[in-house]
Amino acid sequence: MMLLRIEQLVPTPLKPNLANRKSDIWLQNTTFSAGQFIKIKAPSGSGKTTFIHLLYHLRNDYEGNIYWNEQQQQQFNTTQLALLRQQHISIIFQDLRLFPNITARENIELKRVMQTPYYSATEVTRMAELLGITKILAQRTGICSYGEQQRIAIIRALMQPFNWLLMDEPFSHLDSENTAKAAALIKEECTKRNAGFILTDLEDDTHFNYHQTLLL
Amino acid sequence: MKEWNSILKKIIKSASGRLRLLLATIGLSVALLLILSAVQLQANYNELLHSKNNQDSVANFLVVNKQLSNANYGNTTLSTTAIADLKKQPFVDAVGILTPSRFKAAIQSYSSQFPFYTDISFESVPATFIDVDSTQWHWAPGDDVVPMIAPNLFLDFYNFQFSLSQNLPQLTQEIVKMIVFKVNIQTATGILSLKGKVVGFSDRITSLLVPESFMQWANAQYATENNLQPSRVVIRTKDPGNPALVQYLKEHQLTTDADKTRFSKYRQIVNMVVRISWITGIILLLFALLIFSLFIQLTIASCKEEIELLITLGAAPKQLRQFLMRRFFPNNIYIMIAAIIIISILQYVLSHWLQQQYMFISTIISIYTFVTALVFLGVLWIVNFATIQHYIKKENS
Repeated sequence: MMLLRIEQLVPTPLKPNLANRKSDIWLQNTTFSAGQFIKIKAPSGSGKTTFIHLLYHLRNDYEGNIYWNEQQQQQFNTTQLALLRQQHISIIFQDLRLFPNITARENIELKRVMQTPYYSATEVTRMAELLGITKILAQRTGICSYGEQQRIAIIRALMQPFNWLLMDEPFSHLDSENTAKAAALIKEECTKRNAGFILTDLEDDTHFNYHQTLLL
Repeated sequence: MKEWNSILKKIIKSASGRLRLLLATIGLSVALLLILSAVQLQANYNELLHSKNNQDSVANFLVVNKQLSNANYGNTTLSTTAIADLKKQPFVDAVGILTPSRFKAAIQSYSSQFPFYTDISFESVPATFIDVDSTQWHWAPGDDVVPMIAPNLFLDFYNFQFSLSQNLPQLTQEIVKMIVFKVNIQTATGILSLKGKVVGFSDRITSLLVPESFMQWANAQYATENNLQPSRVVIRTKDPGNPALVQYLKEHQLTTDADKTRFSKYRQIVNMVVRISWITGIILLLFALLIFSLFIQLTIASCKEEIELLITLGAAPKQLRQFLMRRFFPNNIYIMIAAIIIISILQYVLSHWLQQQYMFISTIISIYTFVTALVFLGVLWIVNFATIQHYIKKENS
């Protein structure tokens, strides 16, 4: 179980823009209880990706505080941060961030074997089948289409143990049929782990039964 | 772990250059070869100087006396402190005092067929400094015959100059040893006659030697003056060519057989050459370490994005460090093994070649070379580790 709490959070570069905007996140005190499905609706320029990156500690240029189980995120050292990312938080980046020179399966495997494996290798095959990318598993990722790459990124994120799954427009390159399949898989995996997620998107959607929808 | 490594290997390999690795490897190999050969040369050089096989028995004993000059004319005795100081020097193993006879003596033949008569003086030296192994080398008061050791030089002088000019027969060592002659010592009450006999020949000390016991007895009984300080000593040294020994003698106005110490000059030159090879070896090694750490830095820099993404995805610094160490360090071990093999082969060839020149060195490499190799492997490990650590930290922040 992992509690996420943010306190007066605001990214320094966006501070002047955000000061006069109404937001449920920026400069607010919010607590996200374990296992909750959270949707963050974020218009362009509101700092959607920035928010995800702040939670994942990819950037440091912010004011306010982020607490994971009441431990201040800025105090995590590199080893603790690695542990957090291997065991407690998983992520699907908007820009996917796959290694282009290795195969799809290797990209997924990388995250499976980075820590003590949560799943066996057969699970990769099962998920790939579910999302319809079995035939590109042996293909170099760089030559896969965006839709295929997005599904690789989704499966990669589901390979590890986590309490929170961060998703930044995870279905942006998928048609509605594939989106539904991916959402079902994500829901299943989160439920299995008693994990929650934070999903950001531009518009409202009905992919999940969100416990909470917040405006950024 | 195996899968993790094999995926990482693919990610890193596609980014790092092969030519760079090759160049860094060559640089490091050359430097290690140089430094190891410098150590091995030093070991061989020491072996050549100090091993029993290469030592010449004559060269290890030097008769030392003051350099006679106008300043010390008539006062060439060596003081007790000067002898004690000489004994303390690291290059002196032992000092033996040469005691001169302080009585008048002459030798004369018994035979009328081969008549000779000459005034003579003797010297004695502790038995451990004598290289003639003779059972007859002892004397006690009351003994009839005084054994003597003659310098080879005397016999050569007689055989190849004197006998020819005087129309006398040449004498072999064996003939001389058979001749018993009369030894006349002048005493206060007249002439005391003893028998004398040469029991051996030596190259070590160029004077007619008698046993110490005889010398003490005769000096005590018949000495004409009471000067007890010696003028000459014989020293035993492991290495007569030692530049420090030559320097010491020079500083104290002492002189010895220059022939035996003349190698000191060459030794100084060789020492310098060996020292220079050390310095070049070390400089090259520093360069090689620099090249190698630069290579690692470049490799890491060229896969900067990959490493960044790996860290983003949650790879721990320790995991990456382990992987990178495992990727780069074995190369150093292979280079080191290759260098040791090459040095071993060279040593084997060199030892056989030197054997033909009657110089003997070990056919296998010295333990010092091996230890140096291990030490430098440690240094390489530290350089590798520090570079990797530094760059992972940089990418992580």
